[in-house]
Amino acid sequence: MTDELGALTTIFTEFYYWITVVLMFLIHVGFCMYEVGASRYKHHQHTLMKNTMLIPLVTVTWFLFGWWIYWAFPTGPGLAPSIMNESAALITDESAFSAKWYMPNSDIMAVNLGDHISGVFWAAFLLFSWTAASIVSGAIIERITTFAFGILAIAIGSVFWTIDAAWGWHFDGWMLKILGYHDAYASGVIHAIAGGFALGVLAVLGPRIGKFSSSGEPRNIGPRNPWLVTIGLFLIYTGFWGFYAACNIPIFDLGPEYGMEGVTYFTATNIYVTPTTLSGITFNFLMSLSGGLLAGYLISKGDPFWTYSSGLAGIICASAGNDLYHPIQAMIIAMIGVVVAYKMHYWVERKFKIDDAVGAVAVHGYAGFAGLIICGFVLNGYPSSGYSVGSMWVGTDYAPINPLGMFIGAIIMFFVLGMLPGWIIAKVLHGMGKLRIPREVEIAGLDYDIMEAARDDEKSVSSATR
Amino acid sequence: MATVTNWIDHLSAKEVAGAVYPGVGSEGILVLIAFVLWIGWHVIQAMQESSKLEKLARKRHGPNDHKSNIAEW
Repeated sequence: MTDELGALTTIFTEFYYWITVVLMFLIHVGFCMYEVGASRYKHHQHTLMKNTMLIPLVTVTWFLFGWWIYWAFPTGPGLAPSIMNESAALITDESAFSAKWYMPNSDIMAVNLGDHISGVFWAAFLLFSWTAASIVSGAIIERITTFAFGILAIAIGSVFWTIDAAWGWHFDGWMLKILGYHDAYASGVIHAIAGGFALGVLAVLGPRIGKFSSSGEPRNIGPRNPWLVTIGLFLIYTGFWGFYAACNIPIFDLGPEYGMEGVTYFTATNIYVTPTTLSGITFNFLMSLSGGLLAGYLISKGDPFWTYSSGLAGIICASAGNDLYHPIQAMIIAMIGVVVAYKMHYWVERKFKIDDAVGAVAVHGYAGFAGLIICGFVLNGYPSSGYSVGSMWVGTDYAPINPLGMFIGAIIMFFVLGMLPGWIIAKVLHGMGKLRIPREVEIAGLDYDIMEAARDDEKSVSSATR
Repeated sequence: MATVTNWIDHLSAKEVAGAVYPGVGSEGILVLIAFVLWIGWHVIQAMQESSKLEKLARKRHGPNDHKSNIAEW
């Protein structure tokens, strides 16, 4: 870099994404605390290790193939031509944003003096991947094997969510062009898919022993440590700030980008390269958090667990359109999302005997699904991209945002890329006898041996005199 | 192995080479090693976990037995 202003812009962008990654790390810290707080004493350490080990597993696979999938799959393949090379095949050519550059053996997937952005952008998306896997982790605590969870974490974190991101988040994604899909802060791209995936796994995994009485009535289990749950959720809120910032491009000149001759317009943009402001989304983040908390408190009659979770559900529901909503619209949408999530959670629990230990399917899946549908109505008619606006189903240009396209998008996120793969992979693992821990272990507690060893250590140390 | 042995020479070259890690050109082998380590980890972890779970299952502890193991250091 020899031009000072260009260097400043590049290094500012590099630092901006780096900061978002550090902030988003708190999401994972929060999820770990939340899960341990929600699990019973005899399963604590196993629960913690399960969620911790998704970090290396998803990171390594994200390096090996997850990141490549994001850049290769925007066209489907075969569903809509790329605006970069006009081909509907996988994008692996020599174009600027081709997956070719993000193969694990590419020289920009390393310390490279000519590239300041790939690593931090890769990491920002990786942190989204951890979140997707961690959402699933909470729902299935106290009865899944670590082996099975590792496979499922890689599937959602490094394969299925990255396919949906290529389809519905990439500026060249076919869902934007054909459906007018819009999901600025990932109501569907992260949350609906992860919630759906968790539901698919839960349907095969079954409930924890004791969750349902012999007559089928659900019993309440936990949370065991409300303080850990509280801190965990506050940390998830904190990390969510970083997530919102990471979904933006901090500074971009849209004039030449859109081909407008003689126009210079510097702005922050969302992931679709359409204009928004960090300031505006800060309004909406806080107002949707507030809407979620207000609604959650009322609907749960002041239950702390649901109130905290509802703050999260509120943000998740408003996230699809939080780049453009008015703050009061964001608050109302958040409230609607919380009611949907809460009601659906208990209905599904009773009707299908689904034991979602932390309400992850509700908070992420149902609230995210509802958020996509609401966005289709509230942002009806907005362009899904700045490049060229066309009509639905054509695919050579971009359809505007519309209710039908967003509804189909929600189905794709929750069911097609979420629930169905989760169910199939869980079925395969179940068939191998690797999905669920033995009944005797679930009763004794996954940490039994560790606890026994700790007690023996304590005995020997406490009786020691030197 | 060293890709850079003199920064002044490196940065004043007509075209500065971006990749500066050791062993530029050997990325394919590194990727292969990473795949083997990743898959190998799952294989070993699965064996360790199965053996631990089977051992614990055979003991048939009751649902409240763990309470006698709570350490109060």
